[in-house]
Amino acid sequence: MDPARARLTYALVAIVGFLTVSPVVMLALGSFSEGLTAFGEFTLDKYIAAYTDRALLDVLVNTAIFVLGSSVLATVLALFLAYLNTRTDIPFKFLFRILSIIPMMIPHLLFSVSWALLLNPSNGMMNAVLRSVFSLERAPFNIYSLEGMILVEALLDLPIAYLIIAPAMASFDVALEESSRVFGAGSWRTLIRVTLPVLRPAILAAFVLGVVRSLASFAVPSVLGMPGRVNVLATHLYEMIALGFATDYGKAAAVGMSVLATSVTLIYVYRALTAESERYVTISGRGYRPTVIELGRARIPLFTVVALLSFVMVVLPVAVLLYTSFVPYTMVPSARAFSLMSLKHWTEVLQDPLSLLSLKNSLFLALAGATLGTVLSVFVGYAVVKVKTRASGILESLSFLSFSFPGIVIGIGFMWFFVQTPLYATIWALLVGYIATYLPYGVRPMASAFVQVHAHLEESSLVCGASPMTTMRRIIVPLLVPGIVSAWILMAAMFIRELTLSVVLSRPGTEVLAVQILRFADDGLWGKLSALGIIMIAISTALVILATLVGARFRAVEPA
Amino acid sequence: MEIRIRGVTKRYYSEGKTIHALDNVDLTIPANQIFTLLGPSGCGKTTLLRCIVGLEAPEAGEISIGGEVVWSKARNISIPPEKRGLGMVFQTYAIWPHMNVFDNVAYPLQVRNVDRNAIRERVRKTLQFVRLEGFENRPATKLSGGQQQRVALARALVAEPKVILFDEPLSNLDAKLREETRKELKAFLGKLKITAVYVTHDRVEALALSDTIAIMRAGRIVEVGTPQKIYFDADHQFVADFIGRANLVKARVRAQEKDRTLVDCGLGVIACQRRDFPVAADVTLCIRPEFIHVARGEGSGENVVNGRVDSQVFVGEAYESEIRIGAELLLARIDPDANLKVGDPVTFRLDAAHCLLVSI
Repeated sequence: MDPARARLTYALVAIVGFLTVSPVVMLALGSFSEGLTAFGEFTLDKYIAAYTDRALLDVLVNTAIFVLGSSVLATVLALFLAYLNTRTDIPFKFLFRILSIIPMMIPHLLFSVSWALLLNPSNGMMNAVLRSVFSLERAPFNIYSLEGMILVEALLDLPIAYLIIAPAMASFDVALEESSRVFGAGSWRTLIRVTLPVLRPAILAAFVLGVVRSLASFAVPSVLGMPGRVNVLATHLYEMIALGFATDYGKAAAVGMSVLATSVTLIYVYRALTAESERYVTISGRGYRPTVIELGRARIPLFTVVALLSFVMVVLPVAVLLYTSFVPYTMVPSARAFSLMSLKHWTEVLQDPLSLLSLKNSLFLALAGATLGTVLSVFVGYAVVKVKTRASGILESLSFLSFSFPGIVIGIGFMWFFVQTPLYATIWALLVGYIATYLPYGVRPMASAFVQVHAHLEESSLVCGASPMTTMRRIIVPLLVPGIVSAWILMAAMFIRELTLSVVLSRPGTEVLAVQILRFADDGLWGKLSALGIIMIAISTALVILATLVGARFRAVEPA
Repeated sequence: MEIRIRGVTKRYYSEGKTIHALDNVDLTIPANQIFTLLGPSGCGKTTLLRCIVGLEAPEAGEISIGGEVVWSKARNISIPPEKRGLGMVFQTYAIWPHMNVFDNVAYPLQVRNVDRNAIRERVRKTLQFVRLEGFENRPATKLSGGQQQRVALARALVAEPKVILFDEPLSNLDAKLREETRKELKAFLGKLKITAVYVTHDRVEALALSDTIAIMRAGRIVEVGTPQKIYFDADHQFVADFIGRANLVKARVRAQEKDRTLVDCGLGVIACQRRDFPVAADVTLCIRPEFIHVARGEGSGENVVNGRVDSQVFVGEAYESEIRIGAELLLARIDPDANLKVGDPVTFRLDAAHCLLVSI
């Protein structure tokens, strides 16, 4: 192997290792040290204090119910949707693409807020309507509850679960089911004994990823859990470091270590499962067209369910925010509400220096962060796919590690780390933290792009007489552009909405959009929140469209 | 068990076009034979098989297996595949990846609620039959292609169905393994009293395995017969051409004799195996390359043809040569010892029994 490649790989291992391992190390050191920094005297006090806390048991029970409930619900829904899409004659299948992609553009924080606006027990719009229609004494639903949190978190995790299960279901060799039928099993028994077991790795992978995501979720617990005093680990940690008089980072770190360990373990389970899922992929080269199950009379009711889900996940949150941003205070839509509409909240937000600052900071972080992150991802992707050495294997594991980082926990590690540097309380701290935490979002599309650039494609261009530069320009770059574009989009979209890491790292002067929105939510300023939220959604949508347009110019051929 | 197919029709609609996958098919598959449906891809053979097994529903017609009607449009009968009691080997084998060999093979018995001990015994016997004894606990996906194929066969046989269906079961094996497995399959099936319906597009496979072959084209059955009949005595040009390499020469019937038919063609006057065509009818003369035995020089006499070597390709056991006779070009196989070069004059005599006349 040539030494330049080896040097590149080692350099990347050092950079990525530094980015991902240092916050973990700082977290571990901090959890064992006396005082406020990570380098105090060794002590076990923090652990003793953290794990003898009476509140912890309640928090753990809540967390378990929340995490398992939302993951199960998301997986079941995803399975149901994937089955309908790939195996039945349900109409308007484009809805499934919308369902799996659009919700990613709506930040979790805003999605949670829109549900709070609809279903909070005091003046939630849907509650108010139901109360007046059925003349109830009390609001029928309370979103500030474990059930409400589970529902909203499940809807948020649904697209990811769907994107894991649907391809597995599509690449499923239908002959496996057909043979079961021929050998005497009815459709129900075939489903239980063949279809579900063959899909088991994919189903489990979706479930495990759901667990990791809901364990790290901060938006839903903070917006829907804290008002109803339903604390889970993420909000428990947040309370320790951000609320009250005596913030205790050490105690939070002691709890965080267990959360981190759980997450890291689960993410490696997830990787093993997806590897197994690929092994189970059984589709034949020239498969017979799968027999589509005719839904018959169930077609319209099932479609209604899907349409309703799409409405709830895509239209409703944006509509609620847009509406709230125009009315003076929370009210049920009516003629009067429409007559009172004004741009008051919009002008206030656009004149609010803090909101403008956060907007500026978030835009900078998205553009600069995504660009730097993509550049790093290109090199990491290259080293992981094209350089097959022990070092590149380590690099792959390292670059995947941060996928499991719960933002709040790793934020504490980063904070201790940045305190030691001049970067503390600057925008650069956030930039470095973002890139480190979201690196897998860039590396994964780049790695799959590099897989496509088979060495033969490069070599045949050279044999045809093209110079290495021409080969680079005509062959390699065009093949990589889709990967670069999706890496950039994913990272920019993640950065514009970033909340969990930011609530720990952002300081006066380095506010970002999500933190500002959370502040509005705490103060009950729903109108301003909605206006700022719509701006946030507009920016991330614009970024996606822009990047897609740029990518399309470079792309020589449309992928089939 | 005999399978009777009457008037079965199935159409597909794709991109605004209607494709007749099956066009009013009538076919009787005799009991306890290896019956092959042979044809180019897209001819409807797999669709027909799937209609028999019940994975696909025809639009018209009737299918009965061993006297029991399993599908009838007119009488509104539609028995689902799991109630038809058949065995099937899929093209992809459809070995369930989450089960070991034992569970794969035991499945048909388990779903029939057979007693546990009986299942163990019958699975053992069946695995022994396909020479996979001792493989019970292997994960099915860890087996080689040939072994997976035998697991699929064992699974199809274990419930002792009266009919077993094969959907191109050898097409995923490499050439050498395919030949071995084909021989094995023939031996296995020969030991059982079972009706086997076999779908393939490989003519050698069809000839080697079958008791009876049905040639299909564009959703219709063109011809049914023994392998020998199909190969040597095909009635249709399509069949003669499809079943083996053939030189097809345009000809016109000159005269009919007692056991021969004389034709005029680019090779001169040729006496052929007798076929009942009217005099002056346009027909096709079909001569298989292996029946053209060339020698150097020139000759004369009945059915003797003279020409020149036009091209030669060495393929190992022989030269594949093209012989030019006037405007015609015939493919022939020449012994490597013959030492012929391009341009050399050659002569050969055609045996009337191997000159086959088929309708255009």
